[in-house]
Amino acid sequence: MKPLSTWGSSRNPVKFRIPTSDNLLPIRLDIEIDGQRFRDAFTWNPSDPDSEVVVFAKRTVKDLKLPPAFVTQIAQSIQSQLTEFRSYEGQDMYTGERVVPIKLDLRVNHTLIKDQFLWDLNNFESDPEEFARTFCKDMGIEDPEVGPAIAIAIREQLYEIAVQSVASAKESRMIKKGRKGFEHIPISKAGGIAVDLVKSFGNKSSVIRKRKEWDVFEPIVDLLSNEEVDALEATEERNAR
Amino acid sequence: MAMEASNVKPPVSAIEEAHLDLYTIPSYSSWFQWGNIHEIERISLREFFDGSSITRTPRIYKEYRDFIICKYREEPSGRLTFTELRKSLVGDVSTLHKVFTFLEKWGIINFSGTVSAEPAEVQQRHKKEVRVEEGAPYGVRVVAAPNSLKPVAPLPPPVDVGGGGGGELAENGSKFPPLASYSDIYGELLQQQQQGKEGKELVLCGSCKQQCDSGHYEHTKDEFLLLCKKCFGNGDYGSKSAHDFKYVDDTNQVVWTEAETLLLLESVLKHGDDWELVAQNVKTKSKLDCISKLLQLPFGDLMLGSALRKTKVWDRNAGQAVPAHSVQDTVTGDDQQHEHKNQGQQNANVEDPGPPHKRLCTVPNLDASSSLMKQVGRLSSVVGPPVTACAADAAVAELCYENRCSREIFDDDNFGDELGYSARTDEEERVLPVENSEGEKGPTVSGASEHRGNGANISKECCTINFANASCNCNFSWCCSCSCKVIGCSGRERN
Repeated sequence: MKPLSTWGSSRNPVKFRIPTSDNLLPIRLDIEIDGQRFRDAFTWNPSDPDSEVVVFAKRTVKDLKLPPAFVTQIAQSIQSQLTEFRSYEGQDMYTGERVVPIKLDLRVNHTLIKDQFLWDLNNFESDPEEFARTFCKDMGIEDPEVGPAIAIAIREQLYEIAVQSVASAKESRMIKKGRKGFEHIPISKAGGIAVDLVKSFGNKSSVIRKRKEWDVFEPIVDLLSNEEVDALEATEERNAR
Repeated sequence: MAMEASNVKPPVSAIEEAHLDLYTIPSYSSWFQWGNIHEIERISLREFFDGSSITRTPRIYKEYRDFIICKYREEPSGRLTFTELRKSLVGDVSTLHKVFTFLEKWGIINFSGTVSAEPAEVQQRHKKEVRVEEGAPYGVRVVAAPNSLKPVAPLPPPVDVGGGGGGELAENGSKFPPLASYSDIYGELLQQQQQGKEGKELVLCGSCKQQCDSGHYEHTKDEFLLLCKKCFGNGDYGSKSAHDFKYVDDTNQVVWTEAETLLLLESVLKHGDDWELVAQNVKTKSKLDCISKLLQLPFGDLMLGSALRKTKVWDRNAGQAVPAHSVQDTVTGDDQQHEHKNQGQQNANVEDPGPPHKRLCTVPNLDASSSLMKQVGRLSSVVGPPVTACAADAAVAELCYENRCSREIFDDDNFGDELGYSARTDEEERVLPVENSEGEKGPTVSGASEHRGNGANISKECCTINFANASCNCNFSWCCSCSCKVIGCSGRERN
């Protein structure tokens, strides 16, 4: 039974990477200098030369008219995230099948989104950007910043899960226990426990969810008023400090 | 894409089966069966069928599929979105999306889904819609003839014609920003157009700048140089002489609106040079008007030429006229051959009534001045080998009637069949008919000979058709096609 190349094999370990069709790394920036705060999130291609980091930082500062002190901070932040990503490269991620829940809980400008769904870690053709596009189209979201934010949120969770998998794969090797088909990972704030595949997909169960569960998996999109946005932002800032 | 009602039973109990609902799916999806998984599904969604994962099995696929379709059919008038759907299914969202997209692509769901209220979708459709603007695009303008002052409405925008000069003619009443160079040179003309009333354009005398009413004199070499009758009578020719002017009668100036011009073009494309039909189509203009109008258009004479080419062949098709391509033949001996080829094409056209225009378009422009062999070569490349074979066959037969020498070559019983089959290969070979039996070239050595059908002798290089009967009569002889000496046969002398 030869599996497709786009799916990870259920036998061989998978090398670390973001399990999507583009191996793009989510980068998040949150820098404050002299009372000015700069927050941003985007995807970065780790195969770009590192010289691009500084170029990007300079361009960002110039476009947003930030004080020049931001250039080095931005560049450093990006670089360190990149380096961390690269430190995992080459290591084994997981063996066996992994379907994990992904949760969305984000606010982009006036749009508030809550959602959850399943994601197959072995599906290397998966595309968070496409998911985000479909999401925005189906829900009629017009703010163009929402889509990318959703995609990045998904990527971040996948990244975190992948990192955890590397750690736990190491552990299992050290413990030298026999591997089963399905491993479980420690509970994280992002991914939760991987889905019990036998229970969900085995022959005794239906892949149709019970009606009462539909609400849980249905996306919620709220448009906030200005006051609500302000209130939320204030709360977030307070929490961040 | 025809729409068929596909009488599909949703899984309902026996009692409810009494009223079956009809759901419409496109005819290209008629392979779909409720109780079955078709090969198309297995191929398009092979990840469910290759055992690569416990999460993707045929059973699971069928559950997804059936659920999606039922869900859609709860509300067939609306469009089922993926997001609405995925909450109900357990599985990787990317995989679910793939199944959803598959079903949607095949029209099994969302086929009669309406033009939805979703703004994003509307936007997308708008982007794809062609926006029809008034007046021609800025860059492309069509004139009747360079520097012509004849009252001609410009062609409507969709007709993109590369020809035509650089000048611009304004649509009646429509505004456009004149190009700088245009207004410099043709400022007067521009003025005239803008002054013109609906459907009528003015002719101004080049000398006195008055409007010429009933007729004007036009310089034969410079169509821009116009003189009204008065000025002409006064001898006010400028630097030209009187002989160079010809009289143009304006009284019955026929004016064509843009709509009529478009209609005319369409009619000509459709009916060729059947001016009766064309005039009928362009209801407001007579036959003569149509013809002269077409000639005035920049590519008009080209269209006429191609219209002529679309001569209808009456005799072969029992009174049915089917437009076919014919070649403007200058060599009489090959008329029949071409006709036969046309017939072959016609037959093909009749069998395939679908896109006859496509076929017509693919025949390259046959230039009567290029060598006959080239023409024949091009023609034979358009049709399949069997057609060309028949055509050549018939042509040869006709030639034999006409031409004694040909008969000798083709039908001469003295050709023994000693060599039997030669290297008649599996690949198809075409026979290019003899152009001119008198055109024997000097003896040149060709490769091993091959012989085909009816005792004709064809050298290997020339012979390209696989005839069924392999009876070689060849001996030391001339190749009928390239007239090279064919060597390699019995060596028996020809009588």
